[in-house]
Amino acid sequence: MGAAGLGGAVLLGGCGSSNSGGSPAASSVKRPSIAKEPGNLSILEWDGYQAFGTPTNKKAGGLSAGEDYTKKFGADGITYSLIVNDSEALNKVRSGQQFDVIHPCIENLQDYVQDGLVQPWDTKLLPSFANLNPALVKGGQVNGQQYFIPWDWGYGSVIYRTDKVDPADATGWELFWNPKYKGRISMWNGNTTNFEIAALKLGYGGHAMDHLSDDQLTNAKNALIEQYPLNKFLWSSEYTDLQPALQNGDVWIAYSWQDQWVYAKSKGIPMAYMKPSQGRLGWYCGFMLGKDTKNYYHAHDYVESYINHKSCLSLTNYFYYGSADATIKPSEIQNKAVAKSLDIGNPNVLSSADVHLQSWEPNEAAVQQAWEEVTASA
Amino acid sequence: MTGRAIEEGPRRRPRLRAGRGFLIVPPVVIVLAVMVAPIVLIALYSVDVKTNLPFTPTKFTWSMWKDFLPPSEGKFPNPFWHRFEVSMVITVVVSLVAVAAAYPLAYFLAFGARRSRYTLLLLMLAPFFTSYLLRVIAWKIMLSNNGVINTAIWDLHLRSHGDGVPWLIYSKFSVGLVLFYSWVPFVAVPIFVLLDRLDTHLLEAAQDLGAGRLTTFFRVTLPLSLPGVIAGFVFVLIPTTGEFITPLLVGGPGSQMFGNSIQSFFQDTPNWNYGAVLALWLVAVVFVMLLVFGRFLATDLREANS
Repeated sequence: MGAAGLGGAVLLGGCGSSNSGGSPAASSVKRPSIAKEPGNLSILEWDGYQAFGTPTNKKAGGLSAGEDYTKKFGADGITYSLIVNDSEALNKVRSGQQFDVIHPCIENLQDYVQDGLVQPWDTKLLPSFANLNPALVKGGQVNGQQYFIPWDWGYGSVIYRTDKVDPADATGWELFWNPKYKGRISMWNGNTTNFEIAALKLGYGGHAMDHLSDDQLTNAKNALIEQYPLNKFLWSSEYTDLQPALQNGDVWIAYSWQDQWVYAKSKGIPMAYMKPSQGRLGWYCGFMLGKDTKNYYHAHDYVESYINHKSCLSLTNYFYYGSADATIKPSEIQNKAVAKSLDIGNPNVLSSADVHLQSWEPNEAAVQQAWEEVTASA
Repeated sequence: MTGRAIEEGPRRRPRLRAGRGFLIVPPVVIVLAVMVAPIVLIALYSVDVKTNLPFTPTKFTWSMWKDFLPPSEGKFPNPFWHRFEVSMVITVVVSLVAVAAAYPLAYFLAFGARRSRYTLLLLMLAPFFTSYLLRVIAWKIMLSNNGVINTAIWDLHLRSHGDGVPWLIYSKFSVGLVLFYSWVPFVAVPIFVLLDRLDTHLLEAAQDLGAGRLTTFFRVTLPLSLPGVIAGFVFVLIPTTGEFITPLLVGGPGSQMFGNSIQSFFQDTPNWNYGAVLALWLVAVVFVMLLVFGRFLATDLREANS
């Protein structure tokens, strides 16, 4: 799975009904009707993506995704378990905790399927599925079955204070290693992501980024051991860790997704979102269906309320993330300047030469172990 | 007894009386189920007899223990052993400083505020009935770049505006400070209890025999309050050994503790087996601490009560 998975025909405008991936196996199983389901959804989710109408998302003007579901079934029946990175998500599901819907990113799709943790969706139950970008949809298939419904995509890059950082220093990922800014840097506590950053800094781009040899892994680990003491702290949650640190000036340089750049702009903090010389990281995330869910039809309705056009547009206008909805027109995006600079109407960009899509790593366990050794080194 | 035939009444069934051993069964079951069984489970993970990974074969091995404990196979020093050492230094220093700060507090409550000592004790403990997490976050707000302390420093023109003290937060200082703050009142309680029930006639007798106040303190008061001091020290030493929340919230590189490695292994990696090694090592260390200090406390309490 890599950028190649997105290459080829990518439909941008118009509705394509070329998305297939409905799973005959899924629809032939006898299930209780929706009225007989318990209806209490347990969702494994990133903070900030809670459905509109749930306790943390009630303000008008916020993310409206999920509104159709909560209007129809109420918000009380939804319980969220929050995650701060994909490793945590996979561990929680592997530990046996039962979730109806899981929202990981694409790089662990194989792990969820191989470990028997998820089941395919019945795309016939998702009317908006036909609007989704075919390349992203195809990336969510395993053995022809649709295990992953893509929803959100974006970048990982460096966000930095334009009034504190010399522009000559802000050219690439090596900014994280610049000792001039010691104590003003905050990388994400995202283990494998930091190895991808180190790999790009060391010149292991493209396929090599997520397929590090033993020597490359050692080099990347040593580079991160060198970088680690320069951090003020490692952030886990952008809301409770990173945002306060950006606002109060503890941190000038951080790893972030593009929503934090939009946040900083809204607070009047002069920050830029770098296009590193080595290229940005790219990601896309989506929904998976728990293997033992007792809310099969509720789960489909929930996901449909996220992938419909209104919700996808809300995702883009609120977070400035791209969405998998191929029918969104540039004229519908509110901040056209930001949208243009991030190119968020164009998921093609995830397969371009200057974006490195975060993908499955065959030696992920070794990378995660190495990250633990990095953080224990100081 | 008089030879008269004893009239026999209807036979009564003997009353079944539960022995003391019978009453002990429920707590033993709870201890076994809730404390011993999880430790056994973790031990099985640590030697790869159990795994969290589906469809993954297991085979008994000591290799992870050999990798962690010095001399570590392949690489020395093992970074997690190094973190354990750093963690123990932070723990011991915080514990000693907490005890040193708590003693005068307890002394004042016991001897200075005689009538209102219990009210003051309650007032001292009251903030600690709130959520620990909220109190740590309050410290974050106070110590951060735009926080109360830095703002005061800028207002006093001790540093230029915007230039905060760099080691105030996300450092060993902030971790130590928050841990110290969290534990001082609880360390003061056992010391206060012993000082409060100290027979003041002993102090009067010492002074009658010519001892000055300092001599009385070091020769009478302190030795008699030593069980409380040790109890207070243990109160803070043991939980701080496994601490991870405070370093996670106010710590940075170089101030993460051993508990953070354990938490991280189980949360962020599939390698629960190695995490189990670290966790079981921590259990063993705490167990040894309890044995050592428990024996010391028992001796001291016997002497204090005699």
